[in-house]
Amino acid sequence: MTVKLNEQQSIPVSKVQRAAKFISTGAKVGGNYMKHYTKKVVNPSLTKDELHKNNATDIYDSLSELKGSALKVAQMMAMDKNLLPRAYQDKFSMAQYSAPPLSYPLVVKTFNQYFKKGPESLFDTFTTSAVNAASIGQVHKATKGDKEFAVKIQYPGVGSSVISDLRLLKPFALRLLNMNERELDNYMDEVEEKLLEETDYELEVIRSKEISEACNHIEGLNFPKYYEEMSNARVITMDWMKGKHLKEWLETNPTQEARNKVGQTLWDFYDHQVHSLKQVHADPHPGNFIIQEENELAVIDFGCVKVIPEDFYSGYFSLIKKDLLIKEEELDQIFYDLEFISDRDSPTEKSYFKNTFQEMISLLGKPFHEETFDFADDDYFQMISALADKISNDKTFRKSKQARGSRHGLYINRTYFGLYNLLNQLHSNIKTTKPEWLKS
Amino acid sequence: MTEKTKNQQTDENKIIDGYINHVLETGHEPASVFKFAKDLKMKEAAFYEYFTSFDAVKKAVWELNFDKTIHALEGQEVYKTYTSREKLLGFLFTWIEELKNRRSYLLAVYGNGSLKDRSFPTELKGFKSKFKDFANSIVNEGKETEEIAERPYLTDKYQEAMWLQVLFVFRFWLKDDSPKFEKTDAAIEKSVNLAFDLMGKSAVDSFVDFAKFLFQSK
Repeated sequence: MTVKLNEQQSIPVSKVQRAAKFISTGAKVGGNYMKHYTKKVVNPSLTKDELHKNNATDIYDSLSELKGSALKVAQMMAMDKNLLPRAYQDKFSMAQYSAPPLSYPLVVKTFNQYFKKGPESLFDTFTTSAVNAASIGQVHKATKGDKEFAVKIQYPGVGSSVISDLRLLKPFALRLLNMNERELDNYMDEVEEKLLEETDYELEVIRSKEISEACNHIEGLNFPKYYEEMSNARVITMDWMKGKHLKEWLETNPTQEARNKVGQTLWDFYDHQVHSLKQVHADPHPGNFIIQEENELAVIDFGCVKVIPEDFYSGYFSLIKKDLLIKEEELDQIFYDLEFISDRDSPTEKSYFKNTFQEMISLLGKPFHEETFDFADDDYFQMISALADKISNDKTFRKSKQARGSRHGLYINRTYFGLYNLLNQLHSNIKTTKPEWLKS
Repeated sequence: MTEKTKNQQTDENKIIDGYINHVLETGHEPASVFKFAKDLKMKEAAFYEYFTSFDAVKKAVWELNFDKTIHALEGQEVYKTYTSREKLLGFLFTWIEELKNRRSYLLAVYGNGSLKDRSFPTELKGFKSKFKDFANSIVNEGKETEEIAERPYLTDKYQEAMWLQVLFVFRFWLKDDSPKFEKTDAAIEKSVNLAFDLMGKSAVDSFVDFAKFLFQSK
């Protein structure tokens, strides 16, 4: 862990207190805006960078105190680099590594409750403080014989606070993401479902096993072994994966060759999941990967898995083809299916949205259009950023009372954004493989 | 343990268990010690050897839970290495675990809001004094390790505050309807953290110190 966070000062207990926490942050953010605009009167050249930084700090402080699902959302926002200004991103990426720890007596209690034994009697050694935080739980390192284990323990009551947290978060998201309320509601359900899934540790073990078996053949990719007999609803025991987190690894100045290798492994992993398994590890943030010796990649967290429905899959990816040779009606049908346009739109709206989405998708699909793609290319990411800006400031979009885009797209977009982002940080040059049917 | 004390213990436990069962099955106290003793197939006099009244039995239930908690805690290897904060946490978690075995009884007796008024039931007295001794040792230890800041007058009140916290946790647990009482776990964790953060050295101490300095050097 690079940043040692302060021990928690206080954790708000009841729903009312949690709400109060959000309100006070809301007020702070409001205050930051006021400060910004008054300063701007005096000094018109002031940019919004400082404002964003202040906001990010205040929001992060309050989110990390609330822990659980709110922290999860912070992580999610951190991932959509292009959706949020850079200052937010930097502050939030801290959330991906560490949250204030929970006490050891509670860990002992959890063990006693599920195993009828304390951690000391199950393992030879067990760290009394968490070695890492995992947003809805924390990780302890344990040993038994000559084996090392990572033991993930879930915070109590996370599942039940997910729903109320999301409701509290809504006004925030509305303001931060410039979304209208209906649009948000459409996605909130999807987020809620996924977050609740993430609190289900038993499901996580099953999925981890499934995916790690199905991806076993990919070269340079490692998975920890999961121990079902030492896992349950609140505890997951798996192999301890030695290696470095992405940021630490990048600090060692790896060669371009190494960067390409790690990046390519990552790409192959996602390629296989999306196109063959049709279910995908939808949480590609840096904290979930470890880079091991020989530049091999280990995947350590399967909390968030998105199953891709067949009809969504074919629609979504047929748009990525370089030259859309599909007929106009077929294209319309895909747009309908993906809920980009609907019968309630006027013809001008229809053509406007169709064009915008096509532009967006062809930009996001650009890496697929060539044999290899250099993700170090910051210009490409600036283009995505600019397009996202354009969309979020666009009047037609903001006026539109409709939600656009299928809810399934939420996590698929997030996955690809996350993947591109990781590859960008890695500066990898990737052979962008794709399934046969996508090659045109 | 000699034969005699063993016998005493079982008789005492028999009375406690008999009393609890009666409350659970009928919803109220036994009509009289005579009837109660008869049901347990013992002489009324035997009852008075251990308890003077039913209130004394209720009192014993609390003390018994406390003793069991401390026993379980000290049985844990790691307990000795705990900080004061962790000791209080450990106590509360273990205590609630113990209470779980008697939840129906406790709900029957205290679930109707008899703990609401400030004057708590007298049968908690023995438990309170035992707990305060325990709290006292925690506070002293905390002062030694500087986990708890020494503040004139206030420090003496800390054990009282911890006692209020125990009552808070108990009330919270009685009303808790979350699966596996995990909300109580969270309540314990959060309230103890808050308490120890307040008791630890903070900006206020530095402020008082600074203000004193300014006042004195005027």
